[in-house]
Amino acid sequence: MMQDNGFRDVYNLSGGIKAWNGETAVGPAEQGLSLFEGRMSPEESLLVAFSLEQGLRDFYLLMLPKVTSDDVADIFQRLANIEIKHQDRIFKEYVNVIGRAISRQDFEQRTMKGVIEGGMTTEDYLAMFNPHLNSPGDVISLAMSIEAQALDLYQRAAGTADIARTKSLLMDIAGEERGHLNQLAELMDRIS
Amino acid sequence: MRWRQFFTPIKAFNVGEAREYIAGRNPEDVTILDVRQPKEYRKGHLPGAKLIPLPELGDRFHEVDPNKPAIVY
Repeated sequence: MMQDNGFRDVYNLSGGIKAWNGETAVGPAEQGLSLFEGRMSPEESLLVAFSLEQGLRDFYLLMLPKVTSDDVADIFQRLANIEIKHQDRIFKEYVNVIGRAISRQDFEQRTMKGVIEGGMTTEDYLAMFNPHLNSPGDVISLAMSIEAQALDLYQRAAGTADIARTKSLLMDIAGEERGHLNQLAELMDRIS
Repeated sequence: MRWRQFFTPIKAFNVGEAREYIAGRNPEDVTILDVRQPKEYRKGHLPGAKLIPLPELGDRFHEVDPNKPAIVY
């Protein structure tokens, strides 16, 4: 996010404030990472957006049985449900952009092709951050990092979209992701 | 879900590297940015750290000099 706004030298403090206070570092903190480079066509942007929404939903559902706080479980369930609505909107817009009918199944197969190559699994991602799953604060902090990445993605995609309605849709989704981030921040405030 | 393609890796400091980096520069020459929530900031933060909670960061970039190196946590 910062690099996208002109900051040339940005360094994450691995392990954050806990490490600074002398506790064991838990691996690189990913907050503030830029999103992938390169200009995307509107179609590609929507395919990536759909894939990311699926990843976010998978993450929230994965967290559900692992958290002990009812508050956290409730907000994760609601966030997971919201991602389904985002995916529906993205699919509808994709059909509009390509200008012809396509089945949801065929569409989702395209999204899978785009995200399979050489990445990390959600479990790998969790292992890298190593959140304490009995600590709602750790889990929420991780979720905020991922939501921030999603927000960045949609802002970047909107900035490069050539079609006005695609730009508008992506900006709308970015606004919703900001709402998710605020929800998580409020939850963090409540439990801190 | 495969995540790596969504993220562009950036540089990271461990605590020792960060301490050395900060110690070798004048305080005004490096930004230490705390992107946690205000309650967390109040409980403890790096000396001189500027607080901009992550949800607000996109709207408050103008408060930080982009020409200075920034350590973020």
